[in-house]
Amino acid sequence: MRGEALLAVRDLRVTYGAVRAVDGVSLQIDRGPFGLALVGESGSGKTTVGRAILRLVPAAGGTIRFEGQDVLGLRGRPLRDYRRAAQMVFQDADNSLDPRMRIGATLAEVLKAHGLAPREAGRGAARSADRGPVGDRVAALLREAALDPELASRYPHQLSGGQRQRVAIARALAVSPRMLVLDEPTSALDVTAQARILALVRRLREERELAYLLITHNLAIIGELCEQAAVLYLGRVAETGSTAGLLARPAHPYTLALRSAVPEVHAAARRSRIILSGEAPHGAPPPGCPFHPRCPVAVDICRVSVPALRTVAPGRQAACHRAEEVLSGLSGGAGGAGGGLPASQQSLPAGTAAQLADDPLSTEP
Amino acid sequence: MKLEIRDLQVRFGGPDTRPVASVPELTVDGGEIAGLAGESGSGKSMTILAVLGLAGTAGAAVTGSVKLDGQELTGLSGAALRAIRGRRIAAIFQSPSLAFNPVFRVGQIVSRTLRMHGLAAGQARERADAAMRSVLLSPELLRRYPSQLSGGQLQRVAIALALALRAEVLLADEPTSALDVTVQAEVLELLRELRDTRGMAILFVSHDLAVIAELCDRVTIMRAGEVVEQGPTGQVIAAPRHDYTRELLAAVPRIGG
Repeated sequence: MRGEALLAVRDLRVTYGAVRAVDGVSLQIDRGPFGLALVGESGSGKTTVGRAILRLVPAAGGTIRFEGQDVLGLRGRPLRDYRRAAQMVFQDADNSLDPRMRIGATLAEVLKAHGLAPREAGRGAARSADRGPVGDRVAALLREAALDPELASRYPHQLSGGQRQRVAIARALAVSPRMLVLDEPTSALDVTAQARILALVRRLREERELAYLLITHNLAIIGELCEQAAVLYLGRVAETGSTAGLLARPAHPYTLALRSAVPEVHAAARRSRIILSGEAPHGAPPPGCPFHPRCPVAVDICRVSVPALRTVAPGRQAACHRAEEVLSGLSGGAGGAGGGLPASQQSLPAGTAAQLADDPLSTEP
Repeated sequence: MKLEIRDLQVRFGGPDTRPVASVPELTVDGGEIAGLAGESGSGKSMTILAVLGLAGTAGAAVTGSVKLDGQELTGLSGAALRAIRGRRIAAIFQSPSLAFNPVFRVGQIVSRTLRMHGLAAGQARERADAAMRSVLLSPELLRRYPSQLSGGQLQRVAIALALALRAEVLLADEPTSALDVTVQAEVLELLRELRDTRGMAILFVSHDLAVIAELCDRVTIMRAGEVVEQGPTGQVIAAPRHDYTRELLAAVPRIGG
């Protein structure tokens, strides 16, 4: 940690109606170059955290401070300034690029919106995307994103998925932000395009001393891009720590299961698979630990008491009653052969806890 | 050989146009999971459509041979093909919600399909229930609408339907790409079980080489419509012969870095 955090989120809560999508999340992003991975699956709240940080959805509670300033209370000019300093790269470039605008015009528009280029009325506006100081800036941005400046005259549909994602990154960089939120930047891409995007983020990180929040469900991409990681489950932090430490020795059974579920190309890297029963419920979590219905090592206290996020090792925090045991190797996976469903799940009488966990409707009133 | 594909070519346009998918040879045996790997535009999905006799619906023409237990499928009449498609060769796709009409309860779609393939109502009910239990879902869930089931559950119902039909071959086109990784692990485990306990022949299509590596006994790698490399999975991964295979393998991110 170097001095004061760039972004400090404390006890963030976001609700969609009665659903607590984010239920008390705290995290921190240091000054760049720095990456924090926010890892989770559907329903974890990770995308909502990203949006709340950028004021795209309202927060129901908690605080967000950027460079020491309260973000949630910003209005007017200071809010505009914040929106320049903190930018988002959305998951699906297809939905964030206007299909009726040429790439160059899209980039020029961002520059003008933030007062970084002379505004022009009428037809001049469209043409200026190709020329003059705006045109130069657009070309420079495209080159920085490893794209041919020629692409400025193309429409999004004329580019590949990977190219579109780079344009989205170029657009985010257009305003020289100090912090980026990247929401699943590679999920929609083929593996080779994904590798190129990751390499691009790595390069930009060094060249621009960027700080970023990398939101992803893919544990395999966080190692090289993020120093620190936080794992979310059902709107709460399951554990945090250095990425290397967290991947090598998880302190939470969910992280362990998540890690074991990631397929590996090389057999030697594969770990015995812990198969979780069912899926995360939508809507309200059950009483006690939100993960207990699917947890292979849940015990009685887990069903009644919500574990607090606490320090379980230097630099490592986890919200689990058995975190120390998990750190020491407790896994709950089937012995030896690994994988396979736990015996209790082989047949499924109606109304079992596992069935409820499986079940998006299980928590309907 | 359960499923045998030879000199299959799929084209949009006349016989002189370049095929979008060209597969000289691909076989899947009972009790085996064969992988078909490639990126977008590789032709892998068109290959699946061609095997199902559905390439025409996309406006493509198919030449070559697809045999099920020695019986030629290409050129079969509509009725003959319908007796096979869905019944002996089942398919599941990336978006399970596409398989289920949202205005019908899932069970209605399952039993209608079973009855279409000749089962009496009572028998259809029994088979559906048994199949649901095989995929570790309560038969109660058949009363739900698709919107009331998660992606993973829907995918499992689609697999249950294949089981209820006693399908011998399962074509799976990116069935887990849209699922959470922990749910994916469950579905893959289920596919392994189908291979091991029911002797199903499974053709698994994916762009995710890591999943292919873990799941498939043999793999065929496609690029821009052509087969680039083929062989036992372990061998192809340990000693890739083609540059593209090497490139694909190098691009797969790994937790260890």
